[in-house]
Amino acid sequence: MDFLINWLANVPGFAVPFALGAMGLIICEKSGVLNLGAEGYLLVGAMIGAGSMLTFPGHPYLALTLAALASALLSVLFAVLVVHLRVNQVISGLAIVFLAQGLTSLVAGKMGWTNKAFSGLGDINLGPISDIPVIGLIVFRQDPIVYVTVALFIVASYVTYRTHAGLRLRAVGENPEASDAAGIPVLSYRFAAVLIGGLFLGLAGGYLTVVVSKIWVDNMAGGRGWIIIALVIFARWRPWRALGGAILFGCIEALIPRVAAIGIQLPQYFVLMLPYAVTLAVMIWTSLSKDALSNDPSALGRPFVREERR
Amino acid sequence: MTDGVPARQLWRLHLEIRDHMPLWQQAMIVGSGAAAGLFISVCVLMISGVSLSALWNEFVVFIFTNPRNLSAVMTQSAPLIIVGLAAAIAFKVRFWNIGIEGQMIFGAIGATFVATFDIGPETLRLPLMAIFAMLGGMAWMALPAILKLRLQVNEIISTLLLNYIAFNFLLHLLYGPWQDPVSSFPHSEQFASFERLTSLNWGNLDFSLVVALGLVAVSFWLLISSRFGFLLNFIHSNPQMARAMGVRVGMLTLIAALSSGAFAGLSGFVVSAGIESRMTQSFFIGFGFSGILIAFLARNNPLTIVVVSLFVATLMIAGQSLQVFYQIPFATVQLIQAIVVICVAASEFFMRHRIRLAS
Amino acid sequence: MNQIPDRIDKAIAGGPELAPDSRFLVLSGIVKSFGDFCALDNVDFDLERGEVHALLGENGAGKSSLMNVAAGLYTPDKGKVLVEGSAVAIKGPAAAARLGIGMVHQHYKLVRPFNAVENILLSHPTGRYEKSTQRMRSLIAEKAEVVGFEIDLDRPVASLSVAEQQRVEILKILVAGAHIIILDEPTAVLTDEEGERLLTAMRKLAEDGCSIVLVTHNLKEALNYSDRITVMRGGKYVDTVNPGDVTPADLTNMIVGQSIVERPHPAENIGDVRLKVSALGTNRDDDARALDNVDFQVSSGEIYGIAGVGGNGQDELVSVLMGLLPAVRGHIHLDKQGDITRARTDERRGFGMACIPADRHQFALCGDLPISDNFAISKVLEGQYGTWSRVDRKKITGATRDALSSYDVQGVRREDQRAGLLSGGNAQKLVIAREFSGQPSVVIAHSPNRGLDVRASAAVHGYLRSARDAGAAVILISEDLDEIMLLSDRIGVMNSGSIVAEFMTPADRHEIGGAMIGHD
Repeated sequence: MDFLINWLANVPGFAVPFALGAMGLIICEKSGVLNLGAEGYLLVGAMIGAGSMLTFPGHPYLALTLAALASALLSVLFAVLVVHLRVNQVISGLAIVFLAQGLTSLVAGKMGWTNKAFSGLGDINLGPISDIPVIGLIVFRQDPIVYVTVALFIVASYVTYRTHAGLRLRAVGENPEASDAAGIPVLSYRFAAVLIGGLFLGLAGGYLTVVVSKIWVDNMAGGRGWIIIALVIFARWRPWRALGGAILFGCIEALIPRVAAIGIQLPQYFVLMLPYAVTLAVMIWTSLSKDALSNDPSALGRPFVREERR
Repeated sequence: MTDGVPARQLWRLHLEIRDHMPLWQQAMIVGSGAAAGLFISVCVLMISGVSLSALWNEFVVFIFTNPRNLSAVMTQSAPLIIVGLAAAIAFKVRFWNIGIEGQMIFGAIGATFVATFDIGPETLRLPLMAIFAMLGGMAWMALPAILKLRLQVNEIISTLLLNYIAFNFLLHLLYGPWQDPVSSFPHSEQFASFERLTSLNWGNLDFSLVVALGLVAVSFWLLISSRFGFLLNFIHSNPQMARAMGVRVGMLTLIAALSSGAFAGLSGFVVSAGIESRMTQSFFIGFGFSGILIAFLARNNPLTIVVVSLFVATLMIAGQSLQVFYQIPFATVQLIQAIVVICVAASEFFMRHRIRLAS
Repeated sequence: MNQIPDRIDKAIAGGPELAPDSRFLVLSGIVKSFGDFCALDNVDFDLERGEVHALLGENGAGKSSLMNVAAGLYTPDKGKVLVEGSAVAIKGPAAAARLGIGMVHQHYKLVRPFNAVENILLSHPTGRYEKSTQRMRSLIAEKAEVVGFEIDLDRPVASLSVAEQQRVEILKILVAGAHIIILDEPTAVLTDEEGERLLTAMRKLAEDGCSIVLVTHNLKEALNYSDRITVMRGGKYVDTVNPGDVTPADLTNMIVGQSIVERPHPAENIGDVRLKVSALGTNRDDDARALDNVDFQVSSGEIYGIAGVGGNGQDELVSVLMGLLPAVRGHIHLDKQGDITRARTDERRGFGMACIPADRHQFALCGDLPISDNFAISKVLEGQYGTWSRVDRKKITGATRDALSSYDVQGVRREDQRAGLLSGGNAQKLVIAREFSGQPSVVIAHSPNRGLDVRASAAVHGYLRSARDAGAAVILISEDLDEIMLLSDRIGVMNSGSIVAEFMTPADRHEIGGAMIGHD
């Protein structure tokens, strides 16, 4: 029982990066831009988050903001490449990942941020409510970003499905030519969507260092960006399904240290494979289901060119 | 702002699609893109505290005046050429093989399996290791290839996830059953001399370059001259049309993807049995991306792959000394490659479009 | 219908003395080129208040390009655009809409998963979302009633019929307050009856004070439904005439430059049954029946025409016949080879089946690859031009050169230039040259004249006839009833995935039209 409560209480913290990242990616891909750079944005966010905490100790919110902004800056580069210069979105996304891997390693190394622990953002304590058995621990004793994530989810899915801007965003990803004819500035919408995606992913990355690990090590996103991409496919670009998926992965990640802690002897490296193996399994399962190809933005991965003949 | 404006005041940039462009102009544009990438990289390195003269020394003087360093570049280029070919063959059938590192790991595991359990006579040991490496790489590619062909599972993500799984499996072997009994370090025991690629007696250059150049010849024949390559061009440029013409797209895609896996596995063998002479836990790092980069920059042509691989190898060798003497992390090599790719990819915009100031 | 309202007579008689505000839209001296290709060469056009103005010309004459200038999609290189007397630069579709110009394109600009309300709402993002949705819904219903359109506002437009989607497009521009309405080939995708209904509705709109531009290649439509006709040819303005003053022959001369009239040549000796399709069926992705119980047979030396409104299973029939889509039910029987229902595409081609698909750039050509490779691939697949280990490029270049000259493919400087640079007619000739190079015994041609000018389509029809006369069984699938009537020796009508009726030629056009839209 204690195992279960401890496990569940840890899930939100592990689920937040997946959830934030997936939401950002959904907004970006709804506009028709395939963004394979998720891992890169996470890394930049995480590195800047850690760097800010080391530079301005005791300002976790500043660190998270800077993390989101830094990653948005990188997404500007990506947006110019794929939206304006119409570079292949796959190669650009991959290049962004490798650029970010090299850049974070170089900058963090040069600034001396690598492998330096700091005190990050802690959990809230609402006194009596947080002390309610079970529920208090699971629901009311999380770090503030968990609640921010829930709020952001509500806002983002409201905007996407219940506003003019959201309608236009989805139209741009489904049929850019029709959207252009309707007077929607397609390129601006895509640019903005990539940028918002970068902000969300950067925040997710910042969360990894500022809240979770409280230390920066090279390549510490550890493939979470790729899991987020798979998660969005699994969720078929629906925000609430993505949140469900994020919680599922949160459960798996939270399980790994628990299992070791209670002394169950499992081959360590096979346990570490788990998130990736589960992601793969989920992708296979998704592709087997009936609505495998439904709901994906029809123009995903296709650059928009107005005056093209043929 | 977009309202009817008197015609006279209208000035705006005007984009047109170019249908074709002479080859020399294309080369100029790509060349300028690469030059811009290198310029940005030099700036990045200078900001990181490496002076221009130091860069000149590291990248040009030390490498091209010292046969030892030149041979190191050649040796380093061998596995790069092979992963470049691996990526190119997969690209030809629109298969994004991001899992080259995982396939290299399983290639090395296949080779190390032969070496560790002393399978076959000593004279046949190396060829057997090579064959097992190819089988290992192929096996690791089989799952994503079949998933893509049967269930349309995105191969970019499946191959990438398999990298992490392969890496953890490698760690399991190296910290467990295959740990070096001599030193107790997490790498496999050293291969015997007949399990290593023979040295060519010029610096540390070994037989791996011969293997790589052999594979270039095979790939050139396969992709450029043979009927297989002729059909791959159609799959690459329009798979729907190829299918309608009766090309067996699924079959050829599977063959190309598995060959890509086999090539990647072979490069795992070349690194392990060549430079490293054992299976380490980091021998594959960076090769996956470099393979994709090389194939992309070389436009999937086996001959240009050799040229681009030599460039990347130079970068890697110079990067090693920058790491030692200037505390520049090795990942910077990756950064420079990414910058060059981004600049070249962006330059292609000017190959496909013409910008005019229209009135 | 041929009567011209008085004011138009006056307008034409008045010529240059016209008050500027009586002309809603004036395009003068418009020039637009794409690279080396000049799409519009100094073209003039003007539109009166309350008229239906037909813009007539063959495919590629520049009609759509001209109207794209008016609708703000193309920026002209030169020339003036005047709306209600004042010069404007229309910087985009939104700007055009603000000037009261709306265009319904040949390819509808609809977001398929959205319903009609959402699609129309896209162009009018004002007020709170929920409220404006409500407002939009009633506004659309109101406009629909004025024009007499019936439409389901809640279904995704992807599930609406082509005619219904067109209505959504027209409602969209009416809601935007357009009084200059441009329709680009509106009847091309409709049955004759649906087309008549649409054009009658448009006349009514014109009587209410809108101006309509009817872009068409159809003489009869222009003569019967318009007040004035402007003819274009090869990107140039030819003339503007009054439908009462010209004969169809005059117009044809203006359109083509010189008369080209195709006449039917019925088959002379029809042989044994070559291909027999029985109870054939296949499903769509959503398990709906795309083909259901298709039965027909074709003999050698015969052209079997399959008429029907697009989207009734024609694409699927071609795919199943060529082995690109599995047949879930039924059989395909080929003379000498027997049952080929399970044969692969390459095997079927080996048996002498050839195919000219409707979308040649997607299914018949690789735009990035050389013309010679595109020509040679079928034979390379059969094992010719070299061996498995070496493709003989020299042989291919030679054979391509011969084929290009015997099929009169123009615009080729080198055999290794990209096939994507060929124009529609020449690309189609290249496809035919390849498909006929193996002396096929069965030819499947789907909309072979799509996007071709009169001359090229006459040439393509000539090749189909000569294949038939050489003994091939030809299946001609087309939405263009004129093409079917002209070429076919026997006609089947496809509706909802089945062949619902068969006619011997000469057949009655109206009976065929009835079968095309009958029992939905």
